[in-house]
Amino acid sequence: MKQIVKTITKKDFSSFVNSLINDRTYDVVGVVAKGKRYVFDTLSSAEELQLDYDVTILPPKKYYLPQTETLLKFSLEKPFEGKEIMNDTPRIIIGVHPYDIIALEQTDRHYLDQQQDNFYKKRRESTIIIGVDIKNVSERSFVASMKTNVTDSGFDLLLTDIGTNYAVTIGSEKGNKLLEKYAIVEDASSSDLKKIITVRNAVAKKYRQKVNIDKKNWSSLLVANYNHAIWEEHSDVCMECGSCTMVCPTCFCYDVKDNVSLNLKEGNRVRTWDGCLLKDFTKVGSGEVFREEVKERYRHRFFRKGNYLPERYGFVACVGCGRCGSACLPDIADPCNLINELGHFNSEEDTGKYFIKEETEVLEKGIIHVPRSATIKKIIPFNEIDTLFEIELDDKKPLGHKPGQFVEVSIFGYGEAPFGISTPPGDSPVFEIMVRQVGNVTKKLCLLQPGDKVGIRGPLGNGFDVKTFEGKTMLFTSGGTGMVPMRSLINHILDPKQRDKFKEVIILYGAKRPKEITFMDDVDRWKKVSNVQCELTVDRCEPSECWGGCTGLITALFPKIKADKIDSKNTIAVVIGPPVMYKYVIKCLQTLGVPDNNIYVSLERRMKCGVGKCGHCQMNGVYVCKEGPVFNYGKLKQLPEAFE
Amino acid sequence: MKQKPRVAVFDFADCEGCELQIANLEEEILDLISFVDIVSFREVMKEHSDSYDIAIVEGSIMRPMDEERLRGIRSHAKILIALGACATMGGVNKIRNQWMPEEVKKDVYGDANLKGNELFDVFQTKAINEVVPVDYYIFGCPIDRDEFKSVITAIALGKKPDIPRYPVCVECKKNENICQFELGAFCLGPITRAGCKAICPTHNSPCEGCRGLIKKQDTECVKEVLERYKLSYEDIRRRCTMYNYGRKECSYDE
Repeated sequence: MKQIVKTITKKDFSSFVNSLINDRTYDVVGVVAKGKRYVFDTLSSAEELQLDYDVTILPPKKYYLPQTETLLKFSLEKPFEGKEIMNDTPRIIIGVHPYDIIALEQTDRHYLDQQQDNFYKKRRESTIIIGVDIKNVSERSFVASMKTNVTDSGFDLLLTDIGTNYAVTIGSEKGNKLLEKYAIVEDASSSDLKKIITVRNAVAKKYRQKVNIDKKNWSSLLVANYNHAIWEEHSDVCMECGSCTMVCPTCFCYDVKDNVSLNLKEGNRVRTWDGCLLKDFTKVGSGEVFREEVKERYRHRFFRKGNYLPERYGFVACVGCGRCGSACLPDIADPCNLINELGHFNSEEDTGKYFIKEETEVLEKGIIHVPRSATIKKIIPFNEIDTLFEIELDDKKPLGHKPGQFVEVSIFGYGEAPFGISTPPGDSPVFEIMVRQVGNVTKKLCLLQPGDKVGIRGPLGNGFDVKTFEGKTMLFTSGGTGMVPMRSLINHILDPKQRDKFKEVIILYGAKRPKEITFMDDVDRWKKVSNVQCELTVDRCEPSECWGGCTGLITALFPKIKADKIDSKNTIAVVIGPPVMYKYVIKCLQTLGVPDNNIYVSLERRMKCGVGKCGHCQMNGVYVCKEGPVFNYGKLKQLPEAFE
Repeated sequence: MKQKPRVAVFDFADCEGCELQIANLEEEILDLISFVDIVSFREVMKEHSDSYDIAIVEGSIMRPMDEERLRGIRSHAKILIALGACATMGGVNKIRNQWMPEEVKKDVYGDANLKGNELFDVFQTKAINEVVPVDYYIFGCPIDRDEFKSVITAIALGKKPDIPRYPVCVECKKNENICQFELGAFCLGPITRAGCKAICPTHNSPCEGCRGLIKKQDTECVKEVLERYKLSYEDIRRRCTMYNYGRKECSYDE
């Protein structure tokens, strides 16, 4: 599309900016000096603007994804009242360089794709971007070799310094209107247009940093070197300070916290910047950390930029601004250096794929951050750590879940935690979850009483597609709390209305100790159903404990499967349990002859937002909360982080 | 109505600056006393009671008499909170652990006869948790008021306080500071626990590590950075002496 270009004298541009400031309709921000560096900040006059800057310390993402953003306000005294808070003062950002504009367009893809983030959307809509072509090159920038030094989209207006005037490229109707209302402009002449090209070309030659590998080849280069020693060599000197992620325009992961005021009466649910380099990023309630080694987190950051997001969205999530390179004290964060170094290795090994494409369901609009009010109906303790909760949605609508999906249960002041749903799908507004006391939310839940309110977001994630299991023999293997979602699936399949659609059902269930066996009533019932074989085991058993069953690991149950019942090619195996269990159980299934594509698993990670935004549950290129937690093993096995 | 938990604030060897931070909550103290009763707080009130549930202890332990008093406090309190650098890790008071107590006394008091005077019967400085078990830590010299509020509300709600385990750099970057290293200074921010909102570098003063080191001084990354910025191991050792003398790495993980 041919864009309209105007020109404005520098003096008139200053007046334009000053009238925007004086109008007070907008929060007018722009690039200003801070010592020898530059930052985006609110302008009090056009004189402060430094449009010939090289790079700002932080990218303008701080205006789209504020460092701390209030999502909800809640009261601890009201039973359940959470209100979405949105501050939408229109804003004009002046002086955004093309690479930062491109980074914003990438962030748009993530936050406005499929499951829209309404906070982000609103803010994006109420913001006007006045970009500026780069005039001075920062020491670490390699944008020219990333082809992100110029852009023809993503801005409302774009300035180019062509001497005494700025050329103003109009990128949107919003931009056009702004000019009409506040500025004195003239049409650009053909020589002005030529000057734009000349200026851009001249600046493009100034870059000392250059990435030698075309960005479309980053993905395959990284894949070839997934297991290279470089990750360990570099990360040996990583400070784990997270600076690289803080300053990055394409790092957009966040954490969610509940802050309570000192009077203990009200509070805010806020989201704050988080970074995958920090160790606690993946930590789940039980204390488990995924990607525990620095080397893994260090590699994750580069793979996210060069492989995971390119596979997902089609763009390399590095724009070459060089901010991470200059922020990293041991200087190991710069993708330019890393990619160039990898380029020397000539490795062509195909180490596999780190991203799998899964169809995901789009949730209702607005469900992203605001939980629905629900009431605890019944609390049934199984043992000292596990408790079954019966919960009813206050709108009396059924949850509408599939077996294997999960909900985020919210207690204002304490936060949110993910729980598998243990009841089969149905028309009832009541559903059940099992709570194991491990973190703040679970401990608080166990102090609540029937009648107390909680918040529910969900159902979330991909569940089991039970229809595809019809006509097959079903082999269920679950360990520990893996029985929670498994029970939903088993009861769904054993429902008299459904039972005929499936062949034999074999249920293997293991727990650490006899007292940790949950859903015993269900187990007893299953045992009585014809064509169902149900076997139980416990890891160990004290003499004082009453246990007549098998003792040993879950794998010890496999020899008990009646061989004549297994037509392995026509068997669907579902495995849900603690991370350590999968490897061994899958080996047993493979020995039985069950094809990998017939094996389904459900994984546990730090599911925080539940909608594939915050990044915490990411496992290689996959968001477990969105593309999982249920996965087909045949597809999933290629991801090294799935069963690490 | 349920009885409010009773809170007492105590101090040992310190400057009382962290207590002052509590006093500086000003009208917010009214919020605080809406759910706790403050029964002892020498810096701000004259009343005192030995009946309390929560003890907030500032300062480090220097003498047998301090140990005895601290044990007494612990025996009264269901919950003990260490407040500030002196209490949580010994802080500046540990600088003198470089020398033997006798040497220090001689240096400070010369030939004065201190024999038998228990006030001067000092041993090597200890943090609170070297004497009694500590339930919660509020780091910093002085503490950050917002963090104090968040720890207190967390305890009141029965939550685990949310104390960062990442370094000051995270907060410093968020504040858009020019890196102290870039300015030619030597900053402990990269290896010091965050939570202070990077207040020192934000006011153009390098981090001194008052919230405790979260990485060993001799890890590879520290060596690498020292080398890059032409600093010696002696530089970092000296710098860490201010708050972290004798501490190999942060032992208070939670």
